Amino acid sequence: MANRLRARPAHAPGPAYLSYTPNGKKLVTVGLNGALRVFQHDSEDEPAVIDVLTDNHFAVAATIEFILVGAEDGSVTKYSLLTNSMEEMLVRSSLPVRDIAISPDGQWAAVASDELEVKVVNTQDMTRVMYLREHPRPAKHVSFDISGAMVAVSCTDGLVYVYSLSSEQPQLVKRIDGLIKMLDNEAEASSKAVWHPDGRAFAAPSSTRDFQVVARNDWKLQKAFRGGHRGDISAAAWSPNGALLVTAGVDKSLVLWETRSQKMLKSFDDVHNVILAMQWHPTDNVLSYTNNNGELFIRENFAPNEHAKLLKIALQHAPMNGDPLNDISGNARKPMLNGVKPNGHVRSGDDYIEGLLDDAMSQDGADFIEDDDGAGYAEEPNRNGKRVARSIEGPQAKRQAPGPVWQPQIHEPFQPGSTPWKGNRRYLCLNLTGFVWTVNQETHNTVTVEFYDRQEHRDFHFTDPYMYDKACLNEKGTLFACPASSHHPAILYYRPHETWTSRTDWRTELPKGEEVSSISLSDSCIVATTTAGYVRIYSLFGVPLKMYRQKSSPAVTCVSWRDYVMTVGNGPVGGDETTRLLYTIENVKRDEICQSEDILALPDGVELKSVFFSEKGDPCIYDSDGVLLILQHWRTPGQAKWVPLLDTRTLDRLASGKKEESYWPVAVANNKFHCIILKGGEEYPYFPRPLLSDFEFRIPISSAPNGDEDEINADNTLQNSLEEKYVQSSLQYSLIQDLVENTNATQTQKLEATGLEREVDKVLLQLLAVECREGEERGMKALEIATLMKDRTGKMLEAAGKVAQRFQRDILSEKITQLAERRLVGLVDDDEV
Amino acid sequence: MALPLPPGLTPSEVGFLCEMELVTVIPRQRLEGLELLGGPTQSLNPPFPAPLPLWLALLLKRQKRANISPPPWLSVEGLSSILDFETDNRTAEVFSPAPSLPRPTGFGLPHDEYLSQDSLEFSPPFLADSSTTRSQPNALPYHWLELGHLLLTHASDDFDDPDTVRRLLRDLREVRMSKLRKGFRVLDAGAGVKMNGVGGMEIAEVRGFVGGVVDGLRKINRSREESRKDREAEERENGLGGSSYQDDEDDMQL
Repeated sequence: MANRLRARPAHAPGPAYLSYTPNGKKLVTVGLNGALRVFQHDSEDEPAVIDVLTDNHFAVAATIEFILVGAEDGSVTKYSLLTNSMEEMLVRSSLPVRDIAISPDGQWAAVASDELEVKVVNTQDMTRVMYLREHPRPAKHVSFDISGAMVAVSCTDGLVYVYSLSSEQPQLVKRIDGLIKMLDNEAEASSKAVWHPDGRAFAAPSSTRDFQVVARNDWKLQKAFRGGHRGDISAAAWSPNGALLVTAGVDKSLVLWETRSQKMLKSFDDVHNVILAMQWHPTDNVLSYTNNNGELFIRENFAPNEHAKLLKIALQHAPMNGDPLNDISGNARKPMLNGVKPNGHVRSGDDYIEGLLDDAMSQDGADFIEDDDGAGYAEEPNRNGKRVARSIEGPQAKRQAPGPVWQPQIHEPFQPGSTPWKGNRRYLCLNLTGFVWTVNQETHNTVTVEFYDRQEHRDFHFTDPYMYDKACLNEKGTLFACPASSHHPAILYYRPHETWTSRTDWRTELPKGEEVSSISLSDSCIVATTTAGYVRIYSLFGVPLKMYRQKSSPAVTCVSWRDYVMTVGNGPVGGDETTRLLYTIENVKRDEICQSEDILALPDGVELKSVFFSEKGDPCIYDSDGVLLILQHWRTPGQAKWVPLLDTRTLDRLASGKKEESYWPVAVANNKFHCIILKGGEEYPYFPRPLLSDFEFRIPISSAPNGDEDEINADNTLQNSLEEKYVQSSLQYSLIQDLVENTNATQTQKLEATGLEREVDKVLLQLLAVECREGEERGMKALEIATLMKDRTGKMLEAAGKVAQRFQRDILSEKITQLAERRLVGLVDDDEV
Repeated sequence: MALPLPPGLTPSEVGFLCEMELVTVIPRQRLEGLELLGGPTQSLNPPFPAPLPLWLALLLKRQKRANISPPPWLSVEGLSSILDFETDNRTAEVFSPAPSLPRPTGFGLPHDEYLSQDSLEFSPPFLADSSTTRSQPNALPYHWLELGHLLLTHASDDFDDPDTVRRLLRDLREVRMSKLRKGFRVLDAGAGVKMNGVGGMEIAEVRGFVGGVVDGLRKINRSREESRKDREAEERENGLGGSSYQDDEDDMQL
């Protein structure tokens, strides 16, 4: 840096420590004298001073609202940053406090002192304390991981102890030997474990003066940052996105590293005292550190210009051994749809920066933390509904434009009813007929098909050398698809359950280079969408019926029911850089298009989880918000609309707020939503096969009742439920009426339609009664309800008049009678109210 | 000659009555609806769960044609929360409450007989859905002990953790039994014991004991009772203040 560094004398000469608030607005320093200093970020003004009773402070940790300061006298005191005054003594130990860490949510503070145990205190309620006692000697440092569920305790016996706080009693998860050095309590050198911001690893200074990364999932030593210091490391800090690392040593060195390559980017020689605490500013290119001379340095533009852009990219991965995600950009790590290799496995210089810029553009930084937790589906090609930014087709040309290159986020193809690999098993298909699952046996798979109805079908099991990765199951047969390999192209395989000839199963090979992206099976046809953008339709016994190119591609999924085929593909790009999903429904036999390239209605940021036909043959979707929608009027082009049937977030069972569960959709049948309840943050069902649960539909008309027992609420609840019932029965009626009008409906379906029509009127009659009971002044609304009645026979209006009479609403009853009479002679048509 | 049986129901009879309770089964094959004496059953259509009487469910289970899904209270969480309630010091005196009574079904309006479709009041043991999967998870129905026993004996493979459930059931039974016995210790001539929430099998079990105790108490108090009667008779004969009492009785007889 050109200009001379100006130290800010913060405290009396001696060890000083600092902490940024998580929003980066304030910086707090503590030192030997009895005052705390609160610096405002980006301000040259004198810092605020909090005069305190203690001195010789050895630790500080800040949240947005308060700071915790640990002193030599063993006290940990909480000061409010809002008022800059002392709030309370949080905890007191008999020996000096050495380190304090606050969990990311600010709820818990871990306090390491020269006492043997580490106390984890609730910052709001100091009576709630957990003790970490498994280490035999005093702890020197503590640090919370990113989730706040684990604490790494660097003990003075040279071991790192990792505790889990997720249970009531903290549990020792791992004792890591051979990582850190045995250090004295008061040593300037540090052994603190510093968690990488991606949460998969932490790193700690090793006895060889390196900075060693340790993976969180197996606690094995990973890559290390070597050769930067000639003395022990005294402080270290990851940049907020994890792309850079700074370490400082007791030999008064300060080194800037690049995380990805573990290369030393710069060594600073302008440090004159040993740095004891160091932090990056959460957003800006600013590094602050305090040293053992009571000084604070706030170094703006710390990372040199040529590396400063590394600070602006998205979250980077911690460096791991043999990590496949390490040298490709995070969002292109999955195999490409078109068989293209992820961009840039041979990459240098500028390309590398471009790769990083890709990262900067990906919005789903949080996502790849989640699936890196060892669930094992990172290599899964079809993670359901996962959006990925990447080029749409063709090999990625080396980009010429120096600026950021824009890429749309497209929806990955998925197979409804399937789950990703977990362990060595996955469900290929799970529906109301049965389920198909496969077990990975290294050289081959074994596929098992089981049925719910064991009388009707017999379960079967076969060895699968083709490694089928998609399957569909229905009453008639099972359809499989496998990706291409070196021995064979992509294959479709259909196996009927019942046959009266010797052998009727068939397979067909797709042209070279074409992969199946989704398949579906109905009672009369087989549909496959492919990566070449084709929709291929076969008869049940393998006769190719038709083939056409999908208008919106790449394809996302397809479903079919009898002769109706619904395909979903990526359409034009919307405002949030993701593509809109478009669907097409057509009748294959009649060659009619019911809906062409219509929008699959999903709000911003909500993803499609599953698509299926209901038992009665209406398309349904289930989204990541937990809303089930059904398509109304879909047989008439341009008329289709998505109507919510159930919002699982408003279910009564979640009302207590204690349960945390999600629902994995299976089917809509018998006017119920059948799903699998997943508990504890699971995303997919696993083995043993969980039971199916079912929920009644409830259209989210009004907010859920609170279940209060008092009179007014009971009335409201009744009215709400009647209103909901009215909307729902009208919906059911319109669905069945569409069916009756547009197809050769059976007699029972026609009967059902008239039954539902009567049902609608019945609900209206009940609503009318509620209004009548409420009082005379609600007469207008009551009359309005009466006019809503479909009522072809006139009986319902007659009954409505009787209800009104019963409650002595004579005027209302008169008006209803008039309405009935006008209807009878045909004076009222539909448009008149 | 009368049957040499104690008064009341024997445990096997209680178990037999319990078999009419409805439980939820997950059928493994189709079956049309049956016209049974207790009412028609729903037709079975895998994999949709259906309520069936326990005896039929056990029959189908034995033939491997159905799985029984245990009611929510017969789970490790449900039973342990009930057991916590029973063993908690604050609620040591009472039994865990029976399932709450259902609201009148249908959309009948309260306080209005005209539109109310269903004003029947139910009480145990005639509650619908007391042992199906729709039952309350935190309350023991009337037939809890027998039903739990039957399900654990014949359908233990349908439980997640049958051994823990069995142990919890036994714990619950012991806790509640000791409460019942403790209750009867204070039983005196005029006293009573509150037995809300006590199940059918528990009543059958303590009936002999309680009958004996009450009978014994009666015998002990008999001499006192007789002397009181004698005294009253004497008083009446002497005509001391007994006239009004006699009048009353005469009025009653008219």
